[in-house]
Amino acid sequence: MNCHEFWDDLPQKGRDITPAQAAHLAECAACAAEWAPHRALAAGLRSLAEEWRKVEAPPRVEAGLAAAFRAHAGFTAGHSPARSWWTPVFAWAAAMAGTIALATVLMRGYQPAPAGPGRVASPRHTVQSPVEMAVLDADSDDDTSALGEGFVRLPNAPRIEPNDDYNVVRVELPGSAMIDAGIALGEDQAAETVLADVALGPDGTPRAVRLVPDGGTN
Amino acid sequence: MLYRRRQGAIYRFSLHMSGSAEVAEDVTQEVFLAILREDCGYDPERGTLSGYLFGIARKLILRGLERGRADVPLESDAEDTSPRHLAVYDDPLAGLARHEAIEALRRAVQALPRRYREVVVLCDLEEVDYADAAMALGCPIGTVRSRMHRARALLLEKLNQDRKPRVAVDTWKTMRCAI
Repeated sequence: MNCHEFWDDLPQKGRDITPAQAAHLAECAACAAEWAPHRALAAGLRSLAEEWRKVEAPPRVEAGLAAAFRAHAGFTAGHSPARSWWTPVFAWAAAMAGTIALATVLMRGYQPAPAGPGRVASPRHTVQSPVEMAVLDADSDDDTSALGEGFVRLPNAPRIEPNDDYNVVRVELPGSAMIDAGIALGEDQAAETVLADVALGPDGTPRAVRLVPDGGTN
Repeated sequence: MLYRRRQGAIYRFSLHMSGSAEVAEDVTQEVFLAILREDCGYDPERGTLSGYLFGIARKLILRGLERGRADVPLESDAEDTSPRHLAVYDDPLAGLARHEAIEALRRAVQALPRRYREVVVLCDLEEVDYADAAMALGCPIGTVRSRMHRARALLLEKLNQDRKPRVAVDTWKTMRCAI
C-alpha cells in the first residue's frame, strides 16, 4: 500500500484501520504523523456521537404525527371511491353531534339559576351572566392563545391547557350562538349563520370558539 | 414501530444541518408523514430505508434553507479553498476537558460548509455507511469518500485555529519548522 492508497481508503466511520493500513503507517513516518490527529479526531467524533445519541425528537413530534396520521387516514377514507354508504352518514352524524354539544354548552351557559322557594331571582343586570363570568374567568386563568388568535373559551368548558391535544373543526353556527359565547357580532350577522372554528378538547367536547375572519373566504 | 426506531437519527441529522430545533421537529414529522403516503416512492432495491429517510430529511432541510427559514446560512455551501494539510497538532482536542472538547468539536462540525457537514453527520455521527450516505445525498460513493476526507481535514484545521486563535497558522508552522 502506498501513501495515496492509504489516504484514499480512510477507514469508514473513523474506526480502526485495516492491517494493511497499519503496516503502511509502520513504514511511512509522514503518513503516521499525519494520521495521528485524524485518529484523535475520530475518537472525538465518537464521543460527540455518543453524547448526541441521547438527543431525540420531543414527544410532541410523535403526537403531531399521530394526529396527522389520523387526519390523513380520515381524509383518505373520505375520498376513497370504495367508501361505504355509512361514511357520509357518520360524518354528518358527527358534525350534528358536535353542533348539538356546542349548542348545549352555550344554552346551559345562559340558564338562569333556579329561584329557590320563597326567594326572588336577582335581576339580571345586577349579576354577571355565566357567559360574562366564563369570559372573565377565561381571561384570568386560560391560555386560549395556545389554540390560535381570537378563540374564546366556552361557558362552563374546562380550562384550556396549552399541552392538551385540541382539534379545531369549522362549522356553521347561528350568529346568536356566537353572541352567547361572548363574541361581538353586528345586528345583521346575529340573525344569520356564521362560520366558526370550534376547538374540541382531548375528550371531544367543545372548549372554545372563534369567528372565522371574513367568513372563511381567505 | 418505525418512528421510534428511526426518529432520533433523523431528528439529530436535521438539528445538525439546520441548527434549529423547530426546523428539526418539523422535518422529522414531515419525513415520517412522507412514509405514510402511498406514493412515497421508496424502492428497497435502490437502497436501505435509512438512506431513503435521510434523503427525504435532507431535501426538506434544503428547501427550508432556500426559504431562509433555518438558522444556518447558505453561504457555507461554497467550496472551501483553504490549504488541505494543516494538521499541526497530534491531538487537536488535547488539553480540553471532555465536555469542552465535545463542544468545540460540535461547533467545528456546525461551522463546516454544508456539503461536508452532511457527510460528517451521516457517516461519523450517525454511523451511516457510505452506500446509504450516497443514497441520501444523491451522489456516488466516491464523492462521499472524498468529501469525508476533506471534511476531516477542515475539522482539524478549525480545531487547530480555535486552539491558537492569536497565532496565524502559517506563522506557527514556520516557527515549528525552525525549532
